[in-house]
Amino acid sequence: MKIRAINRKLKKQYGNAVNASYEDGCIVLRGNLDKWDDVVAAGMLCAEPYSKCHVVNDIVFTGAEAQKMRMPSLKDKALEGDKPDVLIIGGGISGCSIARELSRFKLDILLLEKEADLALGASGRNDGEVHPGIDLSRGSLKHKYIRRANRMYDAVCAELDIPFKRVGQYACFGKMSWLPVVWLFVQKRKYIDGIDDAKLVLGSKIRKTEPNLNSDFAFAISNPSSGCVSPYNLVIAYAENAVANGARVSLNTAVTGMEVKNGRINAVMTNRGTVYPKIVINCAGVFSDEVARMANDRFFSIHPRRGTNSILDKKAGKRMGMIASVVGASIPGKTRTKGGGILHTVHDNLLIGPDAVETYERENTATSPDSIERVFAKQKVTMPTLSEKDIITYFTGVRAPTYEEDFIIEWGRKTENIIHVAGIQSPGLTTAPAVAEDVAQMAASALKAEKNESFNPVRHAPPHLAAMSDSERAELIKQNPDYGVIVCRCEEVSRGEILDALNSPICVPTVDGIKKRLRPGMGRCQGGFCSPLVTKIIAEYLGVPLSEVKKSSEQSPIVFESVKGGGENE
Amino acid sequence: MNNFDVTVIGGGPAGLAAAIKACDEGARVLLIEREERLGGMLKQCIHDGFGLSRFGERLAGPEYVERFMDKLSEKTVDVRLLTFVTRIEKTAEGFCVVTVSRDGLERISTKTIVLATGCRERTAKQVFIHGTRPAGVFTAGTAQHFTNRLGVMPTKKCVILGSGDIGLIMARRLTLEGAKVLGVYEINPTPSGLTRNIHQCLHDYDIPLYLSHTVTRVFGADRLEAVEICEVDESYKPIESTKVRVDCDALIVSVGLIPENELAESVGVELDSHTKGPVCDCQLMTSVDGIFSCGNALHVNDLVDFVSASGELAGLSAAHYAKKAQCKVNIKIGNEFLYLVPQQLDLNADNSRVTFYFRSKAVREKSLLRLTVDGQEVFKRVYPFLRPPEMQQLVLNMDKFAVQNGSDVRFSIEVAE
Amino acid sequence: MKSFNCIGCPKGCLLCVEEENGEFTVTGNTCENGKRFAISEMTEPKRTICSTVKTVFEDAPVLPVKVSSDIPKDRIFDVMREINAVLLDKRIDRGDTVIENVLGLGVDVISTSDILNRK
Repeated sequence: MKIRAINRKLKKQYGNAVNASYEDGCIVLRGNLDKWDDVVAAGMLCAEPYSKCHVVNDIVFTGAEAQKMRMPSLKDKALEGDKPDVLIIGGGISGCSIARELSRFKLDILLLEKEADLALGASGRNDGEVHPGIDLSRGSLKHKYIRRANRMYDAVCAELDIPFKRVGQYACFGKMSWLPVVWLFVQKRKYIDGIDDAKLVLGSKIRKTEPNLNSDFAFAISNPSSGCVSPYNLVIAYAENAVANGARVSLNTAVTGMEVKNGRINAVMTNRGTVYPKIVINCAGVFSDEVARMANDRFFSIHPRRGTNSILDKKAGKRMGMIASVVGASIPGKTRTKGGGILHTVHDNLLIGPDAVETYERENTATSPDSIERVFAKQKVTMPTLSEKDIITYFTGVRAPTYEEDFIIEWGRKTENIIHVAGIQSPGLTTAPAVAEDVAQMAASALKAEKNESFNPVRHAPPHLAAMSDSERAELIKQNPDYGVIVCRCEEVSRGEILDALNSPICVPTVDGIKKRLRPGMGRCQGGFCSPLVTKIIAEYLGVPLSEVKKSSEQSPIVFESVKGGGENE
Repeated sequence: MNNFDVTVIGGGPAGLAAAIKACDEGARVLLIEREERLGGMLKQCIHDGFGLSRFGERLAGPEYVERFMDKLSEKTVDVRLLTFVTRIEKTAEGFCVVTVSRDGLERISTKTIVLATGCRERTAKQVFIHGTRPAGVFTAGTAQHFTNRLGVMPTKKCVILGSGDIGLIMARRLTLEGAKVLGVYEINPTPSGLTRNIHQCLHDYDIPLYLSHTVTRVFGADRLEAVEICEVDESYKPIESTKVRVDCDALIVSVGLIPENELAESVGVELDSHTKGPVCDCQLMTSVDGIFSCGNALHVNDLVDFVSASGELAGLSAAHYAKKAQCKVNIKIGNEFLYLVPQQLDLNADNSRVTFYFRSKAVREKSLLRLTVDGQEVFKRVYPFLRPPEMQQLVLNMDKFAVQNGSDVRFSIEVAE
Repeated sequence: MKSFNCIGCPKGCLLCVEEENGEFTVTGNTCENGKRFAISEMTEPKRTICSTVKTVFEDAPVLPVKVSSDIPKDRIFDVMREINAVLLDKRIDRGDTVIENVLGLGVDVISTSDILNRK
């Protein structure tokens, strides 16, 4: 699209408020708009899907105050003068999987995460589906990686010792009359796009496998290669294996600026000191365009998109064992959601969602009732017995798409020692194992790194006793009686397992850190019974009073000191 | 020894009463408790008012329950502390209870089981509070645990959602400990807790009670910073225009209790959708032969005295349990009831002194309770008022009502003239 | 006439008190305790306090306590200050005194649990 054509369109839509120009191989938008949806729409209008000529949307949104990035409260010099070979910014699925693949080489790897734990952004707040790629056609990076990565999952999850189930997916259709068109679509996907597991199944088969799905479904596209993982457990496992192989992870560490000279990043400033890396890998998710800007290499824009998922009680989990969604049915109300479905999670709950809502707030993960209403309205078509009453929790994640809706995986365009791994949204969790291999290779080649001969791809997860046979469990309790002390009754988590998590390669001694790793507090009582006990175990482990234990960040104490026992009568 | 007549699961007031009673009746009894110490929730219910009907005294929770613990220590009951039941299997002789403790994994065989597993609290997410996920959202029971057992403060300035008794008790408790309770918000047009608790927990401390109000949202990325309060209409829908933001550091929710019956369900015990506890006969036996239920696992009581009484009945029944033919008749209730327990009558058992517990669905003025058997009125009683928070107890000799197999036994409530 | 709910038992009767020349007439009560409560509420309202005292013991950082009988309502926070000042270093039993004759009110603060002492 010619820039003049773009400007004509922009003028028609927004008058003189906005204009576009072609700069350094990017389409740069400038102006002022007071509606965020308009800001996004203007960006979309200029963007060409999968194009390498990205939209840089510098339109000033005047409708609300600009949001500052959440910063860790910590300030010290722990990293001052550190000279890693590779500095990875961002502890999500991209950053952690790349750290692990890089640890196959003799390199000094440092990963920075600004939050108190890994996977606190989109990587930990998604549905955990390992996608088959049925919605992807050739030409995109998403498509380039999807099949290769999907096939890697069994091996990766086995190495990293986390549960993965290929539960399969049905995309269901209500009308038989659509069959010919969908058949053609499936043939194209299968034989042209290489989505080789795709096939059609009829209603009778759907009802046999999943009797609780809508009995009116006529047929479905089936993708047996679809699966589910716990997304944050995968991220943590990747990071733990990276650390076991020599990489370093620094939590509560935010990048605050960079010193760029002659097209190279010399120094990266953080709240914990200035670091001097040879190569920077930008895995900063919703802030990846900000990191690019700091690196003087901004050639794309992220427009954050929220998605909310609900988790249902395990009792509801028995109603369906796979991933299912309705396609193209008439949906009650004015629902217009993108994707989403019902997913039987790896922990045997049902997950419903997500929706997709554009937002100017990159870090606002607050939930709202309308998201849940929307998602349920749609998915009740998929499974009519679905009930909001079974919801035990819900959460929102913010995706990080570019306007071209494709990944960016490439060296910097103006700054030479940065690799951008940006625009990673769905199916970014799925593609991570393959993307990580390639990005690690890019960095390792550039640094002419040798192979790390002592690399061990195997991570041993701490024992999970509730999943064991009686004899195994008895044996472990004999070795460590703490495994026999149940702290969380809903998920049957023992004191021993909590101590294991505290002693793991990346210790996150917070209530949320323990919850993510072991699930106490994720059951139906949502921590009502166990949170005081977990808080106490953490306090004892750290040797601090209860009031020093945090839910997550430094600024999130669980409780306050009491005035009791002070001795004085004020 | 791991072969028992009666295995009681849960060492709170119901389980203690059941174990003591079953032992008194000559049974070999095992009591299993998850925590390090017996007493259940009463360990943290340090306020007074317990035991009025049983002991004629106003006892604090620990005082009440420790009387039972003292009694238990004189008995030959086997007690396993810090022991968790992971599952129950059915066997030819009865059941096998599989437990986990510091001593390992144990398989215990028992003829009968008394489920005294208590209840859990409904959570903030179950009442659809939205917003961020900061530290500072507690159920009232969790706040109570921190305050009364661990000696720390869950809040300095808070809002309480729900006027159930625990919420009211915590409002007073936190105020005494120096916290500011900005208000108790109740979505219903009437309070959910006992009237006396409104008086002595809220009025005494000038804590406002806002009826037909709810919390719709929490704010704060780290620690809770504020909540959004909304008035609700008759259908409990928040009225947008009434939204206000209230600054505080914690939201304490007291929005109801749910009997804990995961173990019961896992062995096929049928649950009542009204009580969320097992369907029981007048001996408190569930739909699974040999499994009994009592206390708050059976239905949520407002007085511990009733909890102990149902524990004793379950313990007595379990001790005398003998496999025999049953003839169960359902006891039906009208829509005016929130629930009524027990829900069944076993005609082959002694029903000469049956204790019914019930709650009305709505606040009612002068009301007539009527029991009919096959359309014939056999009993009636007038109540000056009925309120859902106040459970009613009714003792009847059901044997004299000529209930037959297949009879229509029905309780109803109507307006009394 | 003044009316308020009785706190003597869960019934929570709505009591009405009429005062005439220092004489009180109570209606709405269903027992003698209700009448006593109503009159005391009019003359010198009294309440109990249940709280905890801090201990030096890790297994029970706080010990539940109460006042041995009701105290004047307007002294509640004074007594709380006394309770909060205690740091208990003895493993006392249920019913044992923690503070004798607190603030000279003629009541003791006593332990309501044997948590420090149960074998």
